[in-house]
Amino acid sequence: MAENRFTRRALLKAIAAGAAVAVMGPAPGRALSSPVTTNILRPPGAVPEEIFPAKCIRCGRCVEVCPYGSIRPPDVRDGIFAGTPLIDVTKIPCYLCMKCVEVCPTGTLSRISQKETRMGLAVIDKHSCVTWNQELALCRTCYNVCPFKEKAIKLDQLRPVVIEDFCTGCGICTHGCPITVKSGRKAINIQPIYAFKPVKW
Amino acid sequence: MGLSRREFLKRTAALTAASYVGMNLPVSLEGEAQAADADSWHPGTCRLCGSGCRLELGVKNGQAVALRGISKSRTNFGYLCMKGMLFYKLMGQNHPERLKKPLYRAKKDQPFKEISWDEALDIAAKEFAKAVKAHGNNSVAYYGSGQALTEETYIFQKIMRGGLQTNNVEGNPRLCMASAVGGYLTSFGADEPIGSYDNFERASCFFIIGSNTAEAHPVLFRRIMRRKMDNRDRVKVINADPRISPTSRISDLDLVFEPGTDLAMLNAMAYVIIEEKLYDEDFLKNYSVFRKGKDKKQVSFEEYKKFLSAYTPEKAAQICGGNITAEKIRTAARWFATSEGTMSIWTMGINQRSRGVWANNLIHNLHILTGQLCRPGADSFSLTGQPNACGGVREGGGLCHILPAHRLVKKDKLRHQVEKLWGIPQGRIPPKPGYHTMAMFEAVNQGKIKAIWINCTSPAQSLPNCDKYIKGMARDDVFMVVTDIFPTRTTELANLIMPTAFIFEKTGVYGCTERRSQLTRKAVDAPGDARPEVWIVREWALRLSKELNDPVIKKCVEPFMGKEPDYELPKAIWDEYTQKLTKDRDNDLRGATYEVLEQLPDGVQWPAPTKEFALKGGTDIKFVRGIDPLADKHAKNEMPYQFYGPAHPDKKLWIWLRPQKGPQEMPDAHYPFYLSTGRVIDHWHTSSMTGRIPELMRANPYAFVEINPKDAEKMGIKPGDMVEVTSRRGRNILPAKVYVGPCEGMVFVYWHDMYSDRMINRVTNDVWDPGSKEPEFKICACRIKKVSGPKPLKPFIVQMKS
Repeated sequence: MAENRFTRRALLKAIAAGAAVAVMGPAPGRALSSPVTTNILRPPGAVPEEIFPAKCIRCGRCVEVCPYGSIRPPDVRDGIFAGTPLIDVTKIPCYLCMKCVEVCPTGTLSRISQKETRMGLAVIDKHSCVTWNQELALCRTCYNVCPFKEKAIKLDQLRPVVIEDFCTGCGICTHGCPITVKSGRKAINIQPIYAFKPVKW
Repeated sequence: MGLSRREFLKRTAALTAASYVGMNLPVSLEGEAQAADADSWHPGTCRLCGSGCRLELGVKNGQAVALRGISKSRTNFGYLCMKGMLFYKLMGQNHPERLKKPLYRAKKDQPFKEISWDEALDIAAKEFAKAVKAHGNNSVAYYGSGQALTEETYIFQKIMRGGLQTNNVEGNPRLCMASAVGGYLTSFGADEPIGSYDNFERASCFFIIGSNTAEAHPVLFRRIMRRKMDNRDRVKVINADPRISPTSRISDLDLVFEPGTDLAMLNAMAYVIIEEKLYDEDFLKNYSVFRKGKDKKQVSFEEYKKFLSAYTPEKAAQICGGNITAEKIRTAARWFATSEGTMSIWTMGINQRSRGVWANNLIHNLHILTGQLCRPGADSFSLTGQPNACGGVREGGGLCHILPAHRLVKKDKLRHQVEKLWGIPQGRIPPKPGYHTMAMFEAVNQGKIKAIWINCTSPAQSLPNCDKYIKGMARDDVFMVVTDIFPTRTTELANLIMPTAFIFEKTGVYGCTERRSQLTRKAVDAPGDARPEVWIVREWALRLSKELNDPVIKKCVEPFMGKEPDYELPKAIWDEYTQKLTKDRDNDLRGATYEVLEQLPDGVQWPAPTKEFALKGGTDIKFVRGIDPLADKHAKNEMPYQFYGPAHPDKKLWIWLRPQKGPQEMPDAHYPFYLSTGRVIDHWHTSSMTGRIPELMRANPYAFVEINPKDAEKMGIKPGDMVEVTSRRGRNILPAKVYVGPCEGMVFVYWHDMYSDRMINRVTNDVWDPGSKEPEFKICACRIKKVSGPKPLKPFIVQMKS
C-alpha cells in the first residue's frame, strides 16, 4: 500500500507545480468552485467550503497521517483548491480514526469526536437500491458495514433507512454498496450537505 | 417507525439539499438491463447456502448474464440475497480465474504443468492403484462436500466402497451438521427435520439458538421477520446466543449466555416446563420414553425430574452468566411451552461443539415435553449451511459410517442390501466404518493415507487448527487430487488439479434443509476443459479397474457407460440411487424422477414413493398419518403420529438426560478470552466463490475481530487497531471492530478470509464431539493484544502460480 501513500514531499512538489500552472491559468470556472460534491468530501471536522481554501495551509499533515490513504489532495486543475484534503469515498472511505483532526495545525479540521463528525449525509437512491426498487432482492451491505449500525442506518422491514441525526457521512456504506450505476455513483451516496452552510462572520 | 413532523421537515430539508448538490434520480441498473436482455431463462437452485432458493439463470449468446428468483418457489418466493443474485459472475467465460485445464506436478514444491485429461486420469488411477497395492485399501480416501451434487457424492462413494473396498468416504458436512444428524437420530430415530419451511408462516414462537439466521440464511430470515412484523404481539422471538447479532433485531427476548453454558440453560427450561406443569401429558405418555447414558437405559419421569433438579433456573443463571436471570429462563420456557406452535432454529452454534449432539438432544427434549411437534408451526428445525449437505451427503451416503439412503455401514443386513443392489459380490463393502474427517486428516499427517481425493471443498482453510493438517497435506508421500473450479488454499497443496464444471454448467440435484430435492439443468458451457465430476469419476474408475485388474470396479460404473455426461449420465446415476437405493427407505425418492423435478417449480420433499404423490410436492410433515405416506404404511396402531424412524426400535421419541458440559478448552489466566467464529452475509465459507465477486469482496474485503467495548477499553484497543489473536495452536492479526456483538470476555472472528494472517482456523481448536465427531470450532480460549494502530489492508484471494 506504501506506494499509494501520498507523502508530504510529493504534496509540496505538486503544489509547486500547481503554482507554475496557475500562472498559465487553469479553466476559470473550476479554479474557484469547490471540488466537494457527491461522494467527494472533506475529512472530519472540516470548516465550511466558503472559508476552507483560505484557512487550509496545504501542509499535507492530514494526508500523511491517514493510515488508510483515504485523504488525497486535488491537483492543480482545481485552482485555489489544489493541495486541500479530499476523500473520495467510492475509492477509500473514511474509517473515522480521527487522526487527521488531531494533526491539523490551523483548525481547518476541528478536533471533534467520531460521533460528531458530519462529512455529509448518506442518501439512498431508492431507484437504484436493489432492496428498494426490486422487491425480491435482499441486500443490506450498507447496514452491515455502517460503523453506527442500528443508529445511523436502520432496517425498516429489511430495507435500509438512513437516520440523519447519527450519520457521520464517512462513506463506508457507499464504498461497500454492491450497486454501481452508470454515472459511477452507488445506490447510497454521501451528499456533502453540511459543507455549504453559509458562514456567520 | 414513528416520524414526528419536526423530524420529517428536517429530513425533507436534507433531501432538498441533497438534490441541489446533484443527486442522481431514476437511473436504470446494469443488472436490470441485462435481465431484460437475456435470450432465455433456466430454472435451478442457488449454489450457496442450504436454504435451497430457486432461481433462474438468464443466458445470452451462450453466456450467463443474470440471476433472478422464482416467485412460485415455496422456499424463497422469488427473494434472493446478493450472493444469490451475483454468482452468475463465476460461470462459463465470466471469470478469468476459473481452472480450465488439468494441472499436475510430481512433487509439491514444483510448479504445475498443464496436461491432458487422459494423462490426468491415468495419473490419478495409477497413484490410487499404487497406494492400494502397496499399503492396502484403507490407504486411500475421498473427502467430499455438501456442495457436490447428489449424483457426484453417490458415484464417488460407490467407487470408493464397492470398487476400492474402503469406507474412507467423508465430507465437509462432518464439520457442519454431523451433530444435528446425531441429535435427530438419537431423539427422533430418523435423520432430518420433521417439518418444513412453511412452519415459518405458522409458528407463534421462534426459539433461535446458536444461529445468526439474518446473515447466514437471509432469505429464510425474511420469512421469520415477515411473520413477526405481521403479528407483533402474537409472535414471540427468543434469540439465545453469546453474541448479539443482526438476528437479535427482531427478538423479544435475548438470552446472552457465556459460550458453552447453553446445555444448563436448556435443561433449566425443561425444569420450568415440568415445575409449572406446562408439558403435554398425553404426548409424553403416547410417544416418548426417557433415556440416559451410553447404554440408552430407559428411566422414569421421576428420575428425569430428579436429574433436572440440578438445573433450577436460579442455578442455571449462575452457570450461564451473561445477561441470564432466572426470570428470563422462566419467560423463555413459558413462551416456548404455551405458544400455539413453537419452532426452534439452530445451526453451527449448537452443532460445532464438543457436546453438539447433547445440545441437539436438549432442544428436541423441549419439543417432545411440550408436544411442539408435527403440528402447524411446531418443529425442531436444524438449518443446514450447505446446499446439498442433506441431499447428497446425509442421504447419499457421503460419510464414513453411512451408506446411501440412511443405511449404517456396520449393519450387515443393510450393507448386503447395498451390495446386492449394486450387483457386486457380497462382502465387497468392508463392515467397519472408515476414518471420520478429523481422523482422516490425522491419518494423512501420519502418512497412513497415501492418496486422497478432495472434491469441491478446501480443508486447508476449513479444518480447525488447520496448520497442523496442512503439514500432512503438504507431505510428498501423500498424493493429493483436488477437483474444484477455482484455486484455493487446498489446490496449493495438490499434486493433481482437475477443473470441474460449476452449477448450471452440469446437471444434477441438490437437496436442501427441508428434505427438498431440486434439479438444476445445464444452461451454459463450462470454460476451457472443465468437466462434470460424474464424467471424471466414471473415466477414472475404468482406468482403476484396469490398473488393479479388478472387474468389480468396472461393474460399479457399468450402468453408466456410454451416457452423455451433461444430462444422460447424471440422470442414470439419479435413477439408480432413487429407484433402487431409496426404495422402502425413509427417504424414499422414487417419485422424484428428473421428469417430475423438471415439472415442478420447487422440487419434491421426501418421502415421495410415487410419481403422483411427488407431483403434489411430496411430504411436508413427516410421521403424520394422512400426510406422510410412510406413516400410513408403517402404522402399528390408530395413533395420529407414527414415529417409524429406523434408529428407534420402540418407535418412540427419546427424551435424553444430558448434563451440562462446558467446552474442552476454557479460558484461563494465559488465554483469558473465549474465541468464536462465524459468517458474514456477503461471504460464504472459505470465500473461494464470493471473494471473486467484486461487489461482495468490496463490501467485506477482509475479516476482522469483534471485541466487546468493555473488553476493548480494558485492553486499550480502539476501532481499526490491529489486534493479535493467539491460542495454543496459532495466531492471527486482524483489524478490530469494537461493538456490542460478542458478550464480555468473548471475541468473534469471521472465517472467510484466505489471507494467512487472517485465517482464523489456524487458531481454532481441533477437539471433537465423541458422538458426532464434529469439531469444536465455536469455542476455544485465546488472548488478544494490540499490535499496532490501523493499517491499510488489501483483500486477498489465492491465485494460481504458473
